[in-house]
Amino acid sequence: MDLFLHLWVMIFIYTIFAMSLNLEMGYTGLFNFGHVAFFGIGAYVSALLTLHQVPFEFALVAALLAAGLLGFLLSIPSLRLRGDTFGIATLGFGEIIRMVFQNEVWLTKGPMGLPGIPKPVLFSYRFATLPQYLLLTLGFSVLTFLVLRIIIRSPLGRAFKAVREDEVAAVALGKNIFHFRIKSFVIGSVLAGLAGTLWGHYTTFISPGDFTLLETILVLLIVVLGGKGTELGPLVGAVVLIFFQESLRFLRLPAEWSRYLAPLQQMIFGSLLIFLMIYRPEGLLREKGAGR
Amino acid sequence: MTFLLQSIFNGLLAGCIYALFAMGLTLIYGVLNFVNFAHGELIMWGAYFLYLFMESPLGLPLPIALIPALCLTILLGLSMDRFAFKPLRQANRLTLLITALGLSFFLRNGAQLFWGAELRTYGFEIKRGWKIFNISITTNQIAIILTTLVCIAVVYLLLHRSRIGKSMRAVSDNLELARVAGINTRRTIRFAWIMSSSLACIGGILLALDTNLQPGMGMINLVKAFAAILLGGVGNIWGALLGGIVIGFAENLGVLIISTGYKDAIAFGIMVLLLLLKPPILYGSQD
Amino acid sequence: MKKIFYVLFTLLGVSLILAPVAKAQDTYKIGAAIALSGSIAVYGEGFKKAIDLATEEINGKGGAKGKKIEILYEDNKSTPKDCVTAVRKLITVDKVPVIIGPAASSNFMAAAPVAQESKVVMLSAQGAAPALTKAGEYIFRVFPSDVLQGKGISDLCLQLKYMEVPIMYVNNDWGLGLKNVFVENFKKAGGKVTDEIPYDEKKTDYRTELIRATKGNPKAVVNLTYIVEGSVMFKQAYEMGINTQWICGSAAKAPKLVELAGKAVEGIIGTYPVFSQETKDYQAFRSLWMKKYGDAKIPIFGEYNYDMVHLIARAIDQGGYTSDGIRKALFEVAKGYRGVTGDKTFDQDRGVGSEYGVWTVKDGQIIDYKK
Repeated sequence: MDLFLHLWVMIFIYTIFAMSLNLEMGYTGLFNFGHVAFFGIGAYVSALLTLHQVPFEFALVAALLAAGLLGFLLSIPSLRLRGDTFGIATLGFGEIIRMVFQNEVWLTKGPMGLPGIPKPVLFSYRFATLPQYLLLTLGFSVLTFLVLRIIIRSPLGRAFKAVREDEVAAVALGKNIFHFRIKSFVIGSVLAGLAGTLWGHYTTFISPGDFTLLETILVLLIVVLGGKGTELGPLVGAVVLIFFQESLRFLRLPAEWSRYLAPLQQMIFGSLLIFLMIYRPEGLLREKGAGR
Repeated sequence: MTFLLQSIFNGLLAGCIYALFAMGLTLIYGVLNFVNFAHGELIMWGAYFLYLFMESPLGLPLPIALIPALCLTILLGLSMDRFAFKPLRQANRLTLLITALGLSFFLRNGAQLFWGAELRTYGFEIKRGWKIFNISITTNQIAIILTTLVCIAVVYLLLHRSRIGKSMRAVSDNLELARVAGINTRRTIRFAWIMSSSLACIGGILLALDTNLQPGMGMINLVKAFAAILLGGVGNIWGALLGGIVIGFAENLGVLIISTGYKDAIAFGIMVLLLLLKPPILYGSQD
Repeated sequence: MKKIFYVLFTLLGVSLILAPVAKAQDTYKIGAAIALSGSIAVYGEGFKKAIDLATEEINGKGGAKGKKIEILYEDNKSTPKDCVTAVRKLITVDKVPVIIGPAASSNFMAAAPVAQESKVVMLSAQGAAPALTKAGEYIFRVFPSDVLQGKGISDLCLQLKYMEVPIMYVNNDWGLGLKNVFVENFKKAGGKVTDEIPYDEKKTDYRTELIRATKGNPKAVVNLTYIVEGSVMFKQAYEMGINTQWICGSAAKAPKLVELAGKAVEGIIGTYPVFSQETKDYQAFRSLWMKKYGDAKIPIFGEYNYDMVHLIARAIDQGGYTSDGIRKALFEVAKGYRGVTGDKTFDQDRGVGSEYGVWTVKDGQIIDYKK
């Protein structure tokens, strides 16, 4: 059953990750193609600190702050851009961050990665075994879910949506778009940092190879598939996608086929995105009262 | 000194190829108003199509194999539009962006399924370059520069001298107005795809001639093309040309100063700097 | 909403049903979490061939402890994340006590803690990072650590009187680890490293890096490269008329490199962990390979994978089909075991030693280098 626990841990981590992207993309209409950078920052900051004997609580807070700060800094220049150029700029940013992980060997050990990241200890309770870790990730996803729910249902959340739906109208109503975009982006970055921290302490080993564009695409797919701009969409997307991905392992295909299987699977991913966009752009769950 | 000259030459070479990519990308952007993430895959498939016709069992010589390869790439570009983008003409650009990303994923892995992940070459004999002013230049490289120049000339003539090119520029400026003025937008869009795919195919082949074939070859270099079009002002074809060459130079010369591990970051670094400074020369004319 | 949840639960159910129902144990199953897809699938295919060959041979001779052995391949997709999942799956679903680990050191190190935690033996046949087996007592390697090879390259440079060299290396765990050992040894011996040039994997253009490396026309350049990157690089260096002695590591020693880069790689030299190809065992291995695959193109690290499977089978034979049994027996069966790749006695860090030789390319053939 360990495999299932493992998969559920992954699902919850990805749910948090996807929820953070959903806030930016689904609610505020910011297409962040470098979202994995914040996931990576969270993982690296917390891993490095705990490896230097900093208690997990502080490391976690530091990781979230680092991700948020980075998000803030990045958001100032690039949020001036319109949708797709913003996407490209963030994509580039994501790559730069990965290169920093890879090249600043004195700090991150570069491609050697960081082994032996300690399991988290929260208020002197150690989350070491799989069920314990599952509990931790579940707890954090519920927390994230609730926080986002409060934000989304608050005036701030409505302002996000207004920015997404019609910039001109939002301006006309006296909203400072730029301001709201930054807020959304920073909150999203902090939450992605949280997901990254949980991931790093779960696998106990991270290396730059974990934080590639592929991860961004996976989480993008989760958000789109689940239904962007919905509260439960990220969870649904994560469950469907991760189970779909892993159920292929149980098909017991001859090993000769696996050379074909992986590209085939990713082709399916790609076509899924296309079909979703054409036939059901709202995803599995539909946003209530959405215009489109 | 030799060292510097060679770096400049290499920068020019890389810049030519980036420019071809960026021009194709920006053509589509101009007409359809979205960034085609799958352009890298057109590049890659273009190169692989040529490989298909040059390898056994066909084994055609390059100039002859070029024709079917070009046709197939154009066909691929057109079917991309027909099956993925056409149903989404009215959708917002973010939907288009995700579609393009999905398409890119689909096509890249399609190539890997078909040809495997391993590196391939067209199998030309390796030759030492000629020494000109102490810079070593190979025949392939001269071909790359000449072909790029020819492509630029053809694009110029098509855009500024032909009827279809003019209507393309009109559509680029304002789709609604162009439609009102009686321009056949469907034909114009098709034409943009044909031009973009041809540029992708030629660029891809040149890249593969100079280096190797690999399913990821388009994607890796497309990111540079992104930087190039941002640099040159999105949707502006001559800006894209210039941007590509600037990125090529910056990359090759920048590595002399900073660690080579950050080679790919240079293009993005320039991009970020530009975004920060936002010089009005580049962005003033855009909306 | 409700409909969606029904779909989700059906999906969950389907994935449960798809999980193989426990069959009667008629074979001893060995897990293999190798790269069958993804960026290093090129290597994985070769490993699989070697593993299959050894398995067939062992089963032909009656298997281990009265039963045949069977390899359960699980694709690790060349990413650390999927390595973890693959190893977890092998341990919890297939319940194997021993696993052939992922190839790249960083992938292996991501998966090693999982095996160690679950007390399952995991072996590496190609991981070279010195810290590879640090995860714990269940982790073994049958491939010598970089510490030895880095010194080997340094010695080679000194021997050939190249006292000032720039070093280029592929910017991953293997390249960086080896570079560090090399630089340390080389400096200690009085050599000078003029420049360090890391480069990314899987690029198509390395001219810039090459130019920087050959700035000031060094007599020799150390280039720790793989096949794919090496073939591009040497080709471009040749075209640019770069004349220098290239010194490589073991990862470039492959017929595929010569096939791809042709005369551009003539005369390059490199170190590799040697094992005599003259021994009876090696000859037998080679002829087996020829018989099964019809050519003598033995893939890189193929011999190590072959030896590893033999060691596992022997350990099962002696210690029984439990992870602790295998773990303990591995030390004993390996002691003085001379496989195709030489002495496989495990040291206290569960690694093996090796001697280093020098290879070169001459007339399109990889041969032993003689001065």
